[in-house]
Amino acid sequence: MKLLLLLLFTLFVSTSFSQIRDLEIGNQAPEIKLTNPEGDTIRLSSFKGKVVLIDFWATWCAPCIAEQSELVALYKKYKHLSFTSGMGFEIFGVSLDNKKDSWLSQIKKKKITWTQVSDLKYWNSPIAKTYNIQALPFNLLIDKNGVIIAKNLHSIELEEKLAEIKID
Amino acid sequence: MNVRLRALISFLSVGAIVFALLSFQTLQKEPWRPDQLLNPEELAITINDPQNHQPLILCVGPAATIKNSIDIGAAHDKENLDKLKKKLNTIPKDEDIVLYCGCCPFNKCPNIRPAFELLNKMKFENHKLLNLPHNLKVDWIDHGYPVNN
Repeated sequence: MKLLLLLLFTLFVSTSFSQIRDLEIGNQAPEIKLTNPEGDTIRLSSFKGKVVLIDFWATWCAPCIAEQSELVALYKKYKHLSFTSGMGFEIFGVSLDNKKDSWLSQIKKKKITWTQVSDLKYWNSPIAKTYNIQALPFNLLIDKNGVIIAKNLHSIELEEKLAEIKID
Repeated sequence: MNVRLRALISFLSVGAIVFALLSFQTLQKEPWRPDQLLNPEELAITINDPQNHQPLILCVGPAATIKNSIDIGAAHDKENLDKLKKKLNTIPKDEDIVLYCGCCPFNKCPNIRPAFELLNKMKFENHKLLNLPHNLKVDWIDHGYPVNN
């Protein structure tokens, strides 16, 4: 019995660690397949070729809302530029909202034009588990092949990273 | 006694008093007392055994995720706070009540303080705040505690 418990515990720990390790820089970002506000299914992999910021946010998260305005400016500045690791910059907004009205209203209010997806399952969303999200806002920067090149950069640090990989 | 030693003792004493005062102020800042914070594991055990006396669990955050909890809505919104007040008006003052939000870490949550203050103001006697210092995912869902379907 003790051996069985030990085995189960080891399995649990190794699974958890492997999940966290998968999200380290240099690894492939797990696929995301969720619906946009229009109900169309969008895959993260459909942005292959571009540098993509996967932005996990929610309208109930005050720091996330504040960050959206910064992202609007960043998107405008870097969208059409070329990078050492991809042609063009995209943001893939993944919302952990649970109320569609709130989600749509903030998209409109903040004038967000990049792709937005959500399963409207709040913290119960399987994607929060896949990406081991511990708090919002959370983001990952991935290259043209979907490989993670930066993790949880915000504000000036995020812009510095984009400036660093941009081709002049 | 050596003058230097006396100066050091005085300095440490003043430091200890300032530290104690600051700690007291920090504790006083929150509308709940430390003994009003409910351990999530304790609530999960209560919910999982229907034989136990079940408290009234009110969600004052984005979504009523915890099993058997009632959705009030985010309490930073006046409309939802009014909804909470209306609900509380129908409940005896000695009812066991558990409030929770879990959207964000405690220090950033805009919902728990207005809600808890309302219960204090309305003179409830047995109300507690579910201790979710990180958020609902980390402190509840990830532990496999019961959730609403």
